[in-house]
Parts: sequence; structure tokens; C-alpha cells
Amino acid sequence: MSDSSLYVKIDDKICQGTGYCVRLAPHVFDVQGGLGMVIDRHPRGEQEALLEEVATLCPTRAITY
Amino acid sequence: MSSIRDLEPAPHIQGIKHFVTYVEVDEILRSRDFRQGSHQESQPFFGDSLLTIDHDRHFQRRRLEAPLFNKLALEYYEREELVPLIGQTLAELKESRGEDGLIRADLCSLLRTMLARISAVTTGIDGVDTSEHTDAFREYVEQLGVGATVEWSTEDHDEVIARILAVRKDFERDFYDASVARRRALIAQYEAGEIERDDLPRDLLTLLYLHWDDEWDEELPIREAALYLVAATQTTTHAVPHIMMHLTEWFEEHPEDRAKAQDRDFLKSAAHEAVRLHLPSPALLRIAVRDVELSNGVKIAKDERVACLFTPANRDPDAFGDDARMYNPYRDSGSLKPWGFAFGGGEHSCIGRTLVTGLSARTDNDEGTDGTLVNIMAALLAAGAQLDPDDPPSYTEMSYHDAYGRFPLVFTNL
Repeated sequence: MSDSSLYVKIDDKICQGTGYCVRLAPHVFDVQGGLGMVIDRHPRGEQEALLEEVATLCPTRAITY
Repeated sequence: MSSIRDLEPAPHIQGIKHFVTYVEVDEILRSRDFRQGSHQESQPFFGDSLLTIDHDRHFQRRRLEAPLFNKLALEYYEREELVPLIGQTLAELKESRGEDGLIRADLCSLLRTMLARISAVTTGIDGVDTSEHTDAFREYVEQLGVGATVEWSTEDHDEVIARILAVRKDFERDFYDASVARRRALIAQYEAGEIERDDLPRDLLTLLYLHWDDEWDEELPIREAALYLVAATQTTTHAVPHIMMHLTEWFEEHPEDRAKAQDRDFLKSAAHEAVRLHLPSPALLRIAVRDVELSNGVKIAKDERVACLFTPANRDPDAFGDDARMYNPYRDSGSLKPWGFAFGGGEHSCIGRTLVTGLSARTDNDEGTDGTLVNIMAALLAAGAQLDPDDPPSYTEMSYHDAYGRFPLVFTNL
């Protein structure tokens, strides 16, 4: 875990497993069993802009950080 | 009249396989073995728009347009555009007080006025400022919506398409062309280094012309704009009358809950439950891109068109419990979205959903937004909006949608 204050979550209730998050940030997200999952829950702080794009692009808006 | 109806499937989805359970519909919408099969007749209005393109093209277009719905943008639309317009629209009603001292208005019409400006801002249409211009713009958006949902029209479809294409020409002349010209001029200034990126408007048309793709045809922006204009108003205009009807019935049966009329968490649940039962798009069609066998063994042949019926899926007792057909603002939807398929599913999930439902608070304790449904319902209830006892609401006869055509209200606190 880095010293980042970011904390990434996927709302399983909303996620549809489109994998859009993986296309933009494969080092943070993966899709398994048809659902998105976070593989790096605490990415470094300088990745906030990327996470903002991922969270906004997600078709179901299931990602928060 | 019953507030929860079962409607016959529209003619355009008869004769093809129907999927009606939550699990089946969810599997089809998530699957990359299908592509968009809806909006075949409304291609003149929506062809090649975000709504009708799939997979990689959808991803790229969505990536371009998604910033229109980021957190900052949603907060701006809600605080700077929506909330003031709701207040202004209700304040203007005071001038129409009847001789009996009561204020009456049709909710369907009020909603289109409240949402006109926000749809103009997100799309990039200028000149929606005076009440006269807003009325004209609102009428155009309403007509474009008729074209957008031509598949569901009870009128002759060819006549509808021809009529609405003519309306679109007038819209281009009165609003669209000047809006595009201003944006293209600004983009030229930006590309010449005369202004900064932040000086450009933040709207759909600016994004499209700033990131022009030579594979697009010249009319792609008007079709994408039409999609945004219609979609930004349609869900809320469809949903709020249903919420008002259900809450009226709920408060009669549960008078203790009247005190929650300004409780935004309660209103959010109440709104999601109404949207679950009354879908703005009652069905979506998909086309199989290869031979498919669903988890339950049902086979779908390559190029076969199938219909996902959202209304029965959203009332599926296996998904939402034995009382799934009933309205319950306290429903616990468990592991499912409280609105079910009201905003579609998979990669075609509605890009503007958070404008309607609000954006959940982030983990860093930012407040998020409440969305159009909660803001409008809170304002209506604060203004004492009630069904007009002398003029009951009626369903539309112009479409197979589960929609109200008229919804007269009386305001007791304006």
C-alpha cells in the first residue's frame, strides 16, 4: 500500500462489469465473474485525475474514490 | 384509474422473442454478444448517436462525452441551473392565481419548463433565456421527443418521422445553427491560441466540434444534440407524475409519513421506487452478434433481434420480492439497483442517470447531488402541490408508453 489517501470502491449493486474501468486503469481494476473488482484500493494520489475520468466514464457510475 | 398498469407490448416488438425476468434481461444487457437493436425507425433522429453505437465506438464516444456528467458538472447543473429554475417556474405560477384563490397547473407542462434550460446548457443551445424563447425551445424538445420515440407512437410512423424532421429544420433555424456557429468560432479562436481551453463552453456541441472525427457525417452533431435534449428531459418528465401519484396514495394510507415530505432520503427512495415500476423506456431491443446460449439454456441465433421487457423484469418477484408489483418507498432492493432497468444496463446504461438520480456521496465525504427527481419533488411538495380533485390526471393516448399526458395540480402553499 502506498501513502496515498485515495480509497477506491466499486458498488457491486450498481456495477455491470462493462470493463470500461479496466481499459483506462488496468493497474487499479479488473473484471472477474462479470463484476468489476479493485486490485489496488489505495493508488497513489497523483492518479486522482485518472480515477476521476474512470469514475465518470463508468456507464453505471459504480466507482467512488 | 389504477396507478400501476400492465400494457400490451407495442406492435414493433411483437413477433420476436421476449425476455421478461430480471436475470434474463440483466444477462442480455451485460453481454457483449449483443448489440443495440432499438431505434431502428428513429435512425433519422438518433443514427450513429451514443445511443445506437456499440462496443469500441461506444467506449470512445462515451469517453469523449462523459466529462459533461462529472461531479463538478453535475453540481453546477443542479445548483446553478436546476434549483433556480424550479424556484422561478413555481414563482411565476403565482401570477396565474384563479378567482377562487387557488393556483392550478399541469405538471407535465411545468416539468418541461423546469428542465428546458438544463437540457440547453448540457447540449450547448444558446438563447433559451426569456420565457418566450424557453416556451419555443420547450415545444421543439417535446416534438423531437415524439420523433425519438416513434417506434412507440400510436400515430402513422412515416408521417411522424416526416413531420418531426420538418420540426427539426425549424429548430436548427431558430436555435441550433447560431449555437453551433458561436462554438465553432470560439474553437477557431482557441486553436489559434487567442483564448484558453477554459474559455470554451462545457457542453456537448463544443466537445463534438473540438474533437471532430472525420468519420462522422455533418448531421451527426444535430442527431447527438437531439438525443441529449430529449434524454435530459424525458426521464424526469415521465417519472415525476408517477412519483406524485404514488406519494399521494402513500400519504393517504400512511399519514404518519407526510412529515417526510422534505426528507430527501425518503424522497430519493420514493422516486427510485416509482421509476422502477414505471419505466421511461419499457423495452429495449438487442441483436445477437453471434449464436448465443443464455445461462438458462435459451438459444438466440446470430442476427436475431430480441426484446428485453423492462416492466415485467422490474416487477419480477424473484428479484424484488413477492410484493414487487406494489409501490413501497421503503423497499430494500437487496443487491439490485433500486431503479432496476429504468436507466438500461450494460455499456448502454444512461449517461445522464446521475443527473436524474443524483450522484452518491464520495468516500471523501463530499456531499454529492440529489438529482432532478428529488429536487423537483421537494419543491412541489413544499409548494403544497396536490392532485386537482376536479380534474383527474389522464394517461397519454399518443404512445404505448406508461406515461401521463395530463396531470393537473392545485398548489395550496404558493
